[in-house]
Amino acid sequence: MAKLDRRPPKRKVNLLRREGVTVVDWKDVTLLRKFISDRGKIRSRRVTGLTPQQQKQVATAIKNAREMALLPYPGVAAR
Amino acid sequence: MRHYEVMVILDPSLDERTVAPTLDTFLNVIRTSGGNVEKVDVWGRRRLSFEINKQAEGIYALLDVNAEPAAVKELDRQLSLQDSVLRTKVLRRDAAKG
Repeated sequence: MAKLDRRPPKRKVNLLRREGVTVVDWKDVTLLRKFISDRGKIRSRRVTGLTPQQQKQVATAIKNAREMALLPYPGVAAR
Repeated sequence: MRHYEVMVILDPSLDERTVAPTLDTFLNVIRTSGGNVEKVDVWGRRRLSFEINKQAEGIYALLDVNAEPAAVKELDRQLSLQDSVLRTKVLRRDAAKG
């Protein structure tokens, strides 16, 4: 009696930041780039798999970087 | 006394070699008020992700400073009055951890 087989929950890209990053630096553009889509939007927690605290840190860091033109604001097809 | 990061974007038409000395004259505000300057890091020319004052590029510089709040505020004010400064940002690193 196999129920409609639920898709096994896809493993999240397991805390990209267990790569040793404990404090998110808003000047680390290459790291932050991984957390925005190609349109410049911040990736949701569902996608990034971060803890709420980490997600918050990343979000503020991205916003700070945007103010200094290090990262783009969301818009049509950013480069 | 607190630790601050001050990031400055300067006009790309400036000569990169003159950037550090020019910034230094502004940093006198910090020194005379009893603060000290830890580091002046000129990143150099960088593409901006969007135009600021019609400029597509900017010269980035990062200043690490220990100073009183009032001194940093004055530094920020003097920098932003400068025509060659496209943008500034002052952050306290210790406070919000990021």
